[in-house]
Amino acid sequence: MTRDQIFFITSLFVFFVINIFLLATGSLSPDWAGLGTFIAAGITLSLYSFLYKDNPLFKFTENLYVGVAAAYTMNQVWYTVLLADVINPTFDLNGQTGGNHEWLLIFPVLLGLFMLTQLASDNISWLSRIAFAFVVGLGAGLAIPRTIAANVLAQMQPSMQPITADLAGFNLVVILVGVVTVLIYFFYSVEHTGAVGVASKVGIWFLMISFGASFGYTIMARLSLLIGRAGFLLEDWLNLQLPLF
Amino acid sequence: MKDFLINLDRRFIFIFVAIGVILPALTTFPLPIKPTANVRAIYNTIEEVAAQNGTVLISFDYGPGSMPEIQPMTLSVLRHCFSKKVKVVGMCLWPQAVGLVQQALDTTSKEFDAQYGTDYVFLGYKTGMHSLVINMGRDFQGTYPQDLQGNNTADLAVTQRIFGLKDFDYVICLAAGNTPDGVWIPYGQERYKFKFGIGCTAVMAPDQFPYLQSGQMNGLMGGLAGAAEYEKLINTPGTATDGMRPQSVVHVIIILFILLGNTIYFLYDRKKGGAK
Amino acid sequence: MLFLRRTLPLLIAFIVGTLGILIYYIPHTAAQDLEQELARWDRIIAAFAMLLGIYSLMSLHLNRVKRQQGGWGYSFLVFLGFGLMILFSLYNDGLGPFKPQVADSGPFVWMFDNVQVPADATMFSILAFFIASAAYRTFRARTPEAAILLVSAIIVMLGRVPIGVLISDWIPWFSQWLMAVPNLAAKRGILLGVSLGAIATSLRIIFGIERSYLGGGE
Repeated sequence: MTRDQIFFITSLFVFFVINIFLLATGSLSPDWAGLGTFIAAGITLSLYSFLYKDNPLFKFTENLYVGVAAAYTMNQVWYTVLLADVINPTFDLNGQTGGNHEWLLIFPVLLGLFMLTQLASDNISWLSRIAFAFVVGLGAGLAIPRTIAANVLAQMQPSMQPITADLAGFNLVVILVGVVTVLIYFFYSVEHTGAVGVASKVGIWFLMISFGASFGYTIMARLSLLIGRAGFLLEDWLNLQLPLF
Repeated sequence: MKDFLINLDRRFIFIFVAIGVILPALTTFPLPIKPTANVRAIYNTIEEVAAQNGTVLISFDYGPGSMPEIQPMTLSVLRHCFSKKVKVVGMCLWPQAVGLVQQALDTTSKEFDAQYGTDYVFLGYKTGMHSLVINMGRDFQGTYPQDLQGNNTADLAVTQRIFGLKDFDYVICLAAGNTPDGVWIPYGQERYKFKFGIGCTAVMAPDQFPYLQSGQMNGLMGGLAGAAEYEKLINTPGTATDGMRPQSVVHVIIILFILLGNTIYFLYDRKKGGAK
Repeated sequence: MLFLRRTLPLLIAFIVGTLGILIYYIPHTAAQDLEQELARWDRIIAAFAMLLGIYSLMSLHLNRVKRQQGGWGYSFLVFLGFGLMILFSLYNDGLGPFKPQVADSGPFVWMFDNVQVPADATMFSILAFFIASAAYRTFRARTPEAAILLVSAIIVMLGRVPIGVLISDWIPWFSQWLMAVPNLAAKRGILLGVSLGAIATSLRIIFGIERSYLGGGE
């Protein structure tokens, strides 16, 4: 047996011993809720085993999760869209449309079915292009005026406010300089030399501050997720009354 | 020692991070949490809505992967709304949020004796993202003729006078993806000019500041720290407040590792042209 | 056939794209009703797009089993998890698939709470370890720009947690200023650039210059 196999089997043994102890002391209830906690803890620790090394238990859990997650999404799509927004209004199954059948919905359903042909044979997969053209074309058309209004005009206007002789005014100057120099940095059609080069350099500094801030926040985010999982293992699984000391 | 530090096995770092998370969680020491202006803005807006007997729309756009950051915000905002008798309409743009939000509603409604239909309604998830917001904006009851349980929205006390997004006094988006700036602002807030606040993961928070300054957003809770600040404002410490202890410790550990790595780089590795 | 395969989709994209732009500026009830109906169709088609994604995933794993590619045995677990969850979904805590879904009890909710939630949450939390490791091994102040990035990251990391307040009141203040001023400026610059690019790409799609969404072939 290799060292890794011994470590793996020992870890499994320790996990089961802990759970038997929790069951015996009443911390883990002998019902569906207790079984759920046992399974959740097992899944959490088997995924964390990847930190030591990739192993069959990690792959087992990962693949099981993929199937469960796909079915969950399918469940939501069926109940909240296909049943509620298509089948019930069209066939009045739940009697809530008062006999008014929305037969026009056959067209988006047809387009949806066309979309599913994408993975079929070449003879009919071209039908999916019609569906994609509708979705992508409509998305592009709806996006243009709204992007102009919300992301361009509404963002330009506050960058060009009247400047006052206080901290708020200083901040506005910094923001204006930052926005302009960052845009100059991304303008690659002009060579970044002379005045453009200097402005581009200032833009890079603003970008570095921004990326540093993003990095700091990203670390915070990832650690928060780990803290959440640690909280589950300590409080919900091991049933520790925190704080201990 | 020098080679050991330059080529440090990453599992040593993993152990330090694990200890930094577990040990502070087992103990307690006081840490000051001072709510920032951006978090306070959301709190104050809900207080204003409460004074007007208003209705808040909360869009829950997250999943289990960001639950530790966003679920404390969900619980805090719901507690605040229910304690002040603010009516709540919940919806999801992400399918995985449905189960998490249902748990949060079950927990918080029991704490404040909030009644379904009279104090809150949960609409569940629908596909479409931007198309859904466009439909809701003009015809709310046509888009959601029934709630998640199958009740007619025209019959429920909370939603019977809601016909479009303009009829909500405040819209809050608790998000782990680009729904605030990619969906709600361009397709909703831009046209209907409702008050809009967000809670988001810390990863997304730096990207939201332009919308705060432009007034398209009036408040921002960023990450676990933002959730802890809101818990402080409503005087109900929860998992976010407890999480600040390990968060603080591990941040210091990582900063020390970064400084150590740079010290080694400048002393030894720079001449060789970089770490392996 | 070329008309159906190429010209018709481009024509549809042009028509609905142009309609999408025009109806934003036309306040007439007919235009707004058309916008509502088109958005409703879009929502329904989006549901089928999600089904396509799931179908694609199952198809991938089926092919893996058929061809006995590396790790093909694990694909049975995908089918097992999927099948079990679908059964529970159809059962719908006793109500069946044609009644509104039960979201607070039943075996489906049990599987979500005890399998999907811990797995999803743990997958993302593993990144905390890797980001810490990456910070030590690669985060070097090799250039002045990298040093600015490093200092900014450290200030923000200290400023956003209570320990920053314990060190000095200036740290959270400066961290907040960094976010609200220079960070804002850079993000706004990026946002403006990306938005202009998105508008240009959308126009290219509507006018049929950008055709990659149609997939390969004629």
